[in-house]
Amino acid sequence: MKVRFWGVRGSIPVPGPTTNRYGGNTSCVEVEAPGAPPIIIDAGTGIRKLGKALLSREGKKKTRAHLLISHTHWDHIQGLPFFSPLYGSGSQLTIYARQRDDTHLRAIFASQTEDPYFPVPLASVKADIQFRELVEGQEFFIDGARVRCTRLNHPWIAMAYRIDAGGASVVYASDTAPFSDILLEHEFIATPPKLGAPLDPRDAEILATMRAGLIDLCRGVDLLIYDTQFTPEEYGQKPHWGHSTPDDAIAVAIDAGAKTLALYHHAPARTDDEQDRILAECRARVGSRLGIIAAREGMEIDLVAEGPGSSPTGDVAVTGAVGGH
Amino acid sequence: MQVRFWGVRGSIPAPGPETNRYGGNTSCVSVTTASGELIIIDMGTGAMPLGHSLMSTDLGRGAGKATLLLSHSHWDHIQGFPFFPPIFVPGNHFSIYGNAKSSSMLEGILEGQMNPHFSPIYTLKNLGADIEFSGVEPGKPFSAAGVTIRACSNPHGVATALAYRLEENGRALVYASDVGYPDSGPSAEALALYHGADVLIHDTTFAPEDRQPRLDRGLSSYVDAARAAALAGGVRHLVLFHYDQDYTDDRVDEMRDACRRELADLGAPDIQVTAAAEALTLDI
Repeated sequence: MKVRFWGVRGSIPVPGPTTNRYGGNTSCVEVEAPGAPPIIIDAGTGIRKLGKALLSREGKKKTRAHLLISHTHWDHIQGLPFFSPLYGSGSQLTIYARQRDDTHLRAIFASQTEDPYFPVPLASVKADIQFRELVEGQEFFIDGARVRCTRLNHPWIAMAYRIDAGGASVVYASDTAPFSDILLEHEFIATPPKLGAPLDPRDAEILATMRAGLIDLCRGVDLLIYDTQFTPEEYGQKPHWGHSTPDDAIAVAIDAGAKTLALYHHAPARTDDEQDRILAECRARVGSRLGIIAAREGMEIDLVAEGPGSSPTGDVAVTGAVGGH
Repeated sequence: MQVRFWGVRGSIPAPGPETNRYGGNTSCVSVTTASGELIIIDMGTGAMPLGHSLMSTDLGRGAGKATLLLSHSHWDHIQGFPFFPPIFVPGNHFSIYGNAKSSSMLEGILEGQMNPHFSPIYTLKNLGADIEFSGVEPGKPFSAAGVTIRACSNPHGVATALAYRLEENGRALVYASDVGYPDSGPSAEALALYHGADVLIHDTTFAPEDRQPRLDRGLSSYVDAARAAALAGGVRHLVLFHYDQDYTDDRVDEMRDACRRELADLGAPDIQVTAAAEALTLDI
């Protein structure tokens, strides 16, 4: 299984020299699983170059792909109208996201491109687009790849996904707050509660169940991609924004026995040099208990399946730049 | 007036080393008037760095005000709005003018951007600043920030976009982004708006050879921009703007040089040509 990062940034794309190395595009990850068509997780601005790469790899103007959406905040869908396979007849795209109480998934995506926000309505694109509405805990297959999902702690609720194929596995868990201070669902929270204040018992129970579900999903996974947007100081000021720190991610990774953690969904203001320092500090703190990398645009990770001749713990090989840039 | 560019890209932000020199942020231009007031034209992702820079002024203390002019509400012209820090500071006052028939329609468009499916802000009511909305009537001058402003409605594919002319102390700045002229060229209203501009910021999305696959989008090539500037008469300085997301810095350089040659061919070699870049500042 190969995992490629096309966009690693949270909130908003940030072009400029201070983000050249990790990249300024918003969230988008490609999973090339043996026996399955391309699986894409999230459609931030990184999906624009992925779309071109898919077409050039296949040498035609159409493709068949599956798109798992963590949630529909802008930074996770804003690249979709610029995914060139949409405009090729014969392309097939299946979009998966969490079911909503108030409207259909198709209606949400259709309103992204309606007048007066975008010139090309979704209904006019040539690709055949199917929508699959998910509930947390659901399991399904994309050809040979097994997909499971569970919910996260984020305003309007996000989904984490696990993909297992050919003996390798990856979890994508973004966006989420830790499960300790505040429950984030549909209510708008203008001012956060004081950190350390006792939680409402009902909220505490929901959060404990949510974390247990996530640990279950991540059990023994080869690669855990996790929202680490905040420093501890930033989290202290914005616990209600629905993002984690590297320490939160490390705790989940260790509790679940994940083999490698990828820091992901970097803050827009985070410079490359700051990200280097964060990664180095994490590695120094954790030692050999857990492999840690910081996701960057163009990074390709080859997850080698367990089996005869390979390491019993599975290997993570970072094989460098993705083609097509 | 002093003009500064914060985002010069069209359609979608284009991060990466290949856009470092001109910048990958979407459309946003600030204008500081002679009397020190602030006007912002369009709120692409360039509005985020602009907003951060303003937090050391009155706008960071809840005692500031600014005028926002929106050409239209395609994403690349509003996507920076919820990332503009001064909009969250109670006490600030913003007057937003845009391409809508009424103030409530304009408010409704930006309210749609905050829809909780898409945004953690949920509604404009959660922004701290005081915001006043006004729909702009093309051709009818109005006064804001001590500047006389006039707009015309330009064709932009299936939609329209407003071009703005700002006049102060006998100097004129025109912002005309996102326009795809018909074969007959710019309208008489557009040419009148551009006429005599000290600076004309004009949509220059691509080279003419890239127009064909993109016809529906209603955008200009550098040839369209050069022709509009030459036809309008009296334009002193043409500024190329709103580059295609796939155009590298080198490609923009080529476009700028080709635009100069085009203007010479059109008999208007005296019009100065600059390709807008993030952080570029022009005194008018």
